[in-house]
Amino acid sequence: MNEEPPETTRRWRPIIHRRPWQAPGAVVLQRRWPTSGAAKQEAIAVLAECLLAPGWVSGDERSWLELCLDEALTNAMLHGNEGDPELAVEATVAIDERCWHVGISDQGRGFRARALPPEDDPASLLLEHGRGIRLMRSWLSALSYWRDGATVVLSRWRADRSRDG
Amino acid sequence: MAEVSGALIVQAYEGVVLVQVTRERLLDAALISAIGAELMALLERYPKPNLVLDFAPVAYLSSAMLGKLIALHKAVQAAKGRLAIAGLRPALRPVFTVSQLDRVFALYPDAQQAILAFRRHK
Repeated sequence: MNEEPPETTRRWRPIIHRRPWQAPGAVVLQRRWPTSGAAKQEAIAVLAECLLAPGWVSGDERSWLELCLDEALTNAMLHGNEGDPELAVEATVAIDERCWHVGISDQGRGFRARALPPEDDPASLLLEHGRGIRLMRSWLSALSYWRDGATVVLSRWRADRSRDG
Repeated sequence: MAEVSGALIVQAYEGVVLVQVTRERLLDAALISAIGAELMALLERYPKPNLVLDFAPVAYLSSAMLGKLIALHKAVQAAKGRLAIAGLRPALRPVFTVSQLDRVFALYPDAQQAILAFRRHK
């Protein structure tokens, strides 16, 4: 992996790199979808199948995988592309010896870490939004941001590999 | 009374409103928005509800749906009603734990136990 997993402290803030993401290992899928609800559902299905079929994600983790893909694609389409159907998201699936990675890029300007509600603030508990990143982070081995936040990379240990091996 | 509307089946009986979610996947933004609106509309029909949401069929859930549940929680509290969530699958339970919503919602293994709890503590 080219990025250390983030610390899982309650004061976690994303590290947002300015440079583009370089997919580690082998790229096994690269595809674009327009910004729309139907395209998002199709993207989730295609990306999930790409990771589930070879056993890189186990079947009993499917709900977490789909949740993370949904959160990342929703953020890219809704916040990054601001819902503009003329804009697209591009997804790249890469695999290395230990981890799989899904990079999702939008055509927006990215975001600032301080725009996110702090996880340690009790007032955040009853906010009606802002939980997606926390949920993704809880299951993924690493969640990283590139291109000023316009690319998010989801990474997790492969289910078909021992973490010790 | 029983009614079927979109993704929800609503039954009201002896002071408890049971809402059964019928969809397995709650990921689509339009569906979540419709469910959110339908849940809020229940408060007009049942002004001080004892509301049980049965999530047993649900296998996939997004943070947007959690947002709708929080909005409902706030509205039910403002109306001095009660809200319980029942039937969460084991795979979905961590979604509530991680987002600390297990501290906000009363969670029950199934709808029957939620209804009994409401009746026990009238």
